Amino acid sequence: MDLGYINARVRGMHSRLLGPKAFDALMIQQDIPSLVSELEKTPYRDEIQEASVLYPGLKGIETALRLNLVHTCQKILSLVEGSDAEQLVRIILARWDVHNIKTVMRGKHLHVSPEEIEECLIPAGSLGEPLLVELIKQPDVRGVVDLLATWDVPFARPLTQYFDEYASARELSILEYALDRFHYENSLALLKAGKSDHEVMRTLLMQEIDSLNLKNAIRMNRDRVDPETAEKYFLPGGEHITPEKFLALVKAGTIDEIVGNVEGTPYYFLAPLIPEAMRTGTFSVLEKELDEYLTRKGTGVFRSDPLGGAVVIGYLWAKQNEIINIRIIARCKDARIPDAELEKELRHV
Amino acid sequence: MAGWEIPLGAAIAFAAGAIGTAWAQSRIGSAGAGTIAERPETSGSIIVLEAIPETLVILGFVVASMIIIMVE
Repeated sequence: MDLGYINARVRGMHSRLLGPKAFDALMIQQDIPSLVSELEKTPYRDEIQEASVLYPGLKGIETALRLNLVHTCQKILSLVEGSDAEQLVRIILARWDVHNIKTVMRGKHLHVSPEEIEECLIPAGSLGEPLLVELIKQPDVRGVVDLLATWDVPFARPLTQYFDEYASARELSILEYALDRFHYENSLALLKAGKSDHEVMRTLLMQEIDSLNLKNAIRMNRDRVDPETAEKYFLPGGEHITPEKFLALVKAGTIDEIVGNVEGTPYYFLAPLIPEAMRTGTFSVLEKELDEYLTRKGTGVFRSDPLGGAVVIGYLWAKQNEIINIRIIARCKDARIPDAELEKELRHV
Repeated sequence: MAGWEIPLGAAIAFAAGAIGTAWAQSRIGSAGAGTIAERPETSGSIIVLEAIPETLVILGFVVASMIIIMVE
């Protein structure tokens, strides 16, 4: 199928993403009601109007952003159906399934109310809203896993396999790791060698895996997790963070050793931030830098091959980043955080 | 030279231009349809872009005419 039509539509959608001027206009708003009015002047108008009626304030904005993301993902999926780019879009959207399943399991594990769980879900993947509502109705994690298995959802396989281990240790990280591992292994296996779009997607996935391994290794180093346990949480398939490097990061006794292990990888830009993060024990700055790096790589593929499927991947990354930034603005306005700090929180790519 | 070579040369000149135009217009047309679907305000530019490859077939027609008229 000709990707010319699809790419032209996606480029049209990309041209409607908010530019720096629109973001400046959102940032100068004083409070949530004025932010809502400003958002009504953007392509988010329909969702904002729909959500504001149901939920006033911050919740309305968050609901509208969620609705918009879901609508966008559904539209993209309907556009690429039957084309070469469908597989790529399905791989990207599968991350929302992983997010949703993890959210429901966390909610059930911590006995959070169904309403609160529902607020955190983004039904943009293959599990639509009705299915997710059914999942939320389950009494516990066992019920969630069983229901996924009944529906024959592929994600049920790793969950069923590791459920006994979770049940005896009561550690949700076991199931979360199994889910992540399955998602990345499955996604990488679906990509074909030699196809340029698939190679682009493979590189992005490998960078995502590296980023997760890096975050986990540094956290486990801080928490002094023993290497044998840490080894079990290594996600295979990354590009630069090998199992040896991962273990070396976990075992590192000094900050210099951690920095030394990052040296020679594309993640060396984290080196100046690691000492501060280790001293204070706050990793949000490191995580933000890594997320920005991934987003930059993801949005960058929009300009790679004008006739390939990478345009769609780049757009989905850019859209997700836009929504994250609007969410940051809304939360900062709600918490009355000064504009200078808000500016630092935004993801600039 | 008044055999089959002249009409054949003219036919090739015209057909090549027409095929080139058809291929270019099909690509521009599908991309243009996508653009108009998202941004209807670009219809004017897209119609102009869609018409540009017509020059190829016109050129093929002119060359074919010149072959028929001028080659003896």
